Amino acid sequence: MDAFWIILTGSLVASSCALLGCYLVLRKMAMVGDAISHAVLPGIFLAYMLAGTRSSVPLLIGAAVFGVLCTFLIELLTKRMRMQNDAAIGLTFTFLFAIGVILATRFASYAHLDQDCILYGEIAYVPFDVGWTLDIGGAIGVLEIPVAIGILSALLVGVIALIWWAYKPLFITTFDPAYAAAIGISTTFWHYVLMGTVSLTTVLSFESVGAILVVAFLIGPAATAYLLTDRLPVMLILAVLIGILSAILGYWLAVWINGSIAGAMATVVGGLFGLALFFSPSYGIIGKHWRKAELS
Amino acid sequence: MIVNVPNPVIEVHDLTVIYNRKPALWDADFTIPKGKLVGIVGPNGAGKSTLIKAIMGLVPLSSGHAELFGKPLDEVRQKVSYVPQRESVDWDFPASALDVVLMGRYRHTGLFRRISKKDRNIAFECLKKVRMEAFANRQIAQLSGGQQQRVFLARALAQQADIYLMDEPFAGIDATTESAIVDLLFEMRSEGKTIMVVHHDLESAYEYFDWFVLLNTRLVACGPKEEVFTQDLLVETYGGKMNVLAKIGELIRENTFPVREDNSPLR
Repeated sequence: MDAFWIILTGSLVASSCALLGCYLVLRKMAMVGDAISHAVLPGIFLAYMLAGTRSSVPLLIGAAVFGVLCTFLIELLTKRMRMQNDAAIGLTFTFLFAIGVILATRFASYAHLDQDCILYGEIAYVPFDVGWTLDIGGAIGVLEIPVAIGILSALLVGVIALIWWAYKPLFITTFDPAYAAAIGISTTFWHYVLMGTVSLTTVLSFESVGAILVVAFLIGPAATAYLLTDRLPVMLILAVLIGILSAILGYWLAVWINGSIAGAMATVVGGLFGLALFFSPSYGIIGKHWRKAELS
Repeated sequence: MIVNVPNPVIEVHDLTVIYNRKPALWDADFTIPKGKLVGIVGPNGAGKSTLIKAIMGLVPLSSGHAELFGKPLDEVRQKVSYVPQRESVDWDFPASALDVVLMGRYRHTGLFRRISKKDRNIAFECLKKVRMEAFANRQIAQLSGGQQQRVFLARALAQQADIYLMDEPFAGIDATTESAIVDLLFEMRSEGKTIMVVHHDLESAYEYFDWFVLLNTRLVACGPKEEVFTQDLLVETYGGKMNVLAKIGELIRENTFPVREDNSPLR
């Protein structure tokens, strides 16, 4: 049963991240996910110090505030100060992360907040934190649903609802922001809607799977799907399927080599991208050579 | 030489735009009458694109304002359409030509409603007008530069606006597309639409447009082409650029003679 919960946790995170990742990749903002996942660290510690508890809600709020603050600072540096986008991202998140590290080394001894856990996560412990029990009888008997499954399911429903509801504004502000602004759609508003959702997703996800796997899931499946299709709706669905496949294969890889589950899942994400890079029918390296050979 | 008209559809007052402490557009003040095909002409970096971006509210204004149909843009957005420069977007985007044209319908349907059959039909009709109906489901990356430009125009048409502002629709396209676009612009003008076009090529400008805005950071001239497209004003617009000046001389000569013949059948 543990295996099922772990794979389901991975799949839920992968699906939310893959959907949002499509927009990040298309907006050429993939590294913003990385930045957010690190920049939330001081938010978590500040929230802990202010609230004096380790319960999730204040920590979550603290983290989300710093996630949005991070995207705001990046936006400010690029738009107003005319800084290169990658330089702005690098400067902002290392600064915020460093503050988090100072807070962590100064106060972590009281807090029992572990930096390793935040960065690498421990998906294997997900099944032990049971939130609800459900007696379904039969062969399975009492189902012990972990807390993380509840939270991550709600998150995925939220992300799907957002994309379903705001498909058109997200599509147009991603493809052609100038035209969107010309017909009266606020590009800034949708930028922060998207970035706020990415912050929330990152924070909710890395509690169970760690920041590195979150970044892998944000970028990898979307970048892979981009190589396989030329329609956005198909890209969104493919990215989700690739994310889920990575979670399943990653779990079995981890069992097989007896290593880190999050590490194995992230490795599979990279592996699947490599496969698409070579074998994609339209954009793959082999496909291109084959067509060239056919032409000559 | 600035010809002001009564009841203008586009009115620009003291418009100044400053990028990085350097003026891109300086105190432009002019009016455009309804139903004209207007060419915005001037050397590189003269603020031509900045002018239409400023009218569309896409760049911060340092001073001044623009009115369309005598109202601020926000009240008449439905009636104004904008065609950005083709290079301003990433054409590798996973979308079809029809997807892009449908964006022109977003405001009509409402931002959170599904696209209706009617929108789809209108979008398809607009693709037909630019002779791109055969490419409706083609991914936009697989289109040529000229075809991509025509998709952008179809999107603007799908908005069914009355004023069109176009940023270099003739840049980097093939001759077929150029003539298709010109035919379309003439047709739109005959339907009473007002069209402002940022244009680079002086040789074709006289033939295409009937009203001109001559720009070199500040407004040099604005008015009907017979009054404004003159050697003196063009020289003033282009400053001391010799190669352009020589060309202007030739153009003026070419353009003047047929006009005189037309005007003097009785003498």
